[in-house]
Amino acid sequence: MIESVDEYLALLKEELEASDPATIQDALSDAEEHLRTVLEIELELHDDLSESEALPPIIVKYGTPEETAQAYKEIEARIPPALAQQKDVSGRSAISRFFSVISEPRAWGALLYMFFSIIAGLIYFTWAITGLSLSMSLMILIIGIPFLILFLVSIRTIALVEGRIIEALLGVRMPRRSVFTPTRVGWWEQLKSLFLERRTWGGIAYMLVQLPLGILYFTIFSVLLALSLGFILVPVSELGFHSPLFVINNTAYHSPIWLMPFVVIAGFIIFLATMHLAKFIGRMHGSLAKSLLIGI
Amino acid sequence: MGNLTDTNKANKKFNKEIKSGTAALALLGVLSRATEPMYGYQIAKHIEASSNDVTLIKQGALYPVLRSLESSGLLESEVEPSISGPPRRYYSITEGGREALGEWAEIWTQTKDFVDAILEGANND
Repeated sequence: MIESVDEYLALLKEELEASDPATIQDALSDAEEHLRTVLEIELELHDDLSESEALPPIIVKYGTPEETAQAYKEIEARIPPALAQQKDVSGRSAISRFFSVISEPRAWGALLYMFFSIIAGLIYFTWAITGLSLSMSLMILIIGIPFLILFLVSIRTIALVEGRIIEALLGVRMPRRSVFTPTRVGWWEQLKSLFLERRTWGGIAYMLVQLPLGILYFTIFSVLLALSLGFILVPVSELGFHSPLFVINNTAYHSPIWLMPFVVIAGFIIFLATMHLAKFIGRMHGSLAKSLLIGI
Repeated sequence: MGNLTDTNKANKKFNKEIKSGTAALALLGVLSRATEPMYGYQIAKHIEASSNDVTLIKQGALYPVLRSLESSGLLESEVEPSISGPPRRYYSITEGGREALGEWAEIWTQTKDFVDAILEGANND
């Protein structure tokens, strides 16, 4: 017999164990919203009922943890995140797989994310360092504490937003709503959970690490894109503008006409390889975000 | 014994398959008539009230369907804090959702008529 909402949530979490952490987080917050809302109403109507007495009929209508878990698993299996629809490429040759990356929304999304991440990294890093150092130094005065709390709360919101961006661009499933923090428990409990939860510190770690990663991604992909575009546009620049392929010791080197088609092809190949790399790094970054931003 | 569990399994499977689409249609129907955004429990209560105690679908199973309708753009939602409990997600139907509802309702009527005709035909044999 399930006696409290927390117990129900624990069982639901157990049932969903093998599922995506983001699905688990969604399922838990839906269940929590529903059960607590109905419980509130029931308890108001019947003063003499306790939580453990009021809960069973509510659960009968809502579904057992097992049934609820099943419903989420089914829907999750049918609906992949926005860009995650991957065609089955296993039957195709390596060459066609290499070229088909050009039509994969996920690769384009990842490429976009690589450039976006440096801006996000800068903002996150500044925010995290400012928040941490300000609250530490203000800790001498009493106002440091509310400041720190405010900062930690902001981390959760930022984590949710970053998760939405990651799901949209990298196609990695992330939570679609914020985790519910119970208001029935006292402010002290809430504070404790704010400080003790892995999610809070994982979020800060993510914000700090996003800057070096963003710089790295930006550098790698700017160089690769510039290189491939430069190669592809060689005929235009050399024949149209007479600019040399490269200059060493004041000597300008032009490429011979016969070489140009090969340079252009090389440019396209570098571009496709760049997209593959973006997809790969995107996947890596997605799992990093998953492990740091979701605290289950 | 084995036969009985097989029938049970078949019933469950059929129930599951038929529910998966109809729940989405019912939710769109409820939200298309709502004058303002509704949250999960309100929707569940509304369905309960209008379905004469036939609980075809558990309330808990409505939420993932709501979410999936939202991710396909047929619904939109907004989270609002509530005074006592957890924040609530309020859902409302989008223009695309209304269009989909029109088409789905037509498919539903056709399917219903078709199945009814076949089943009646089977009874007359």
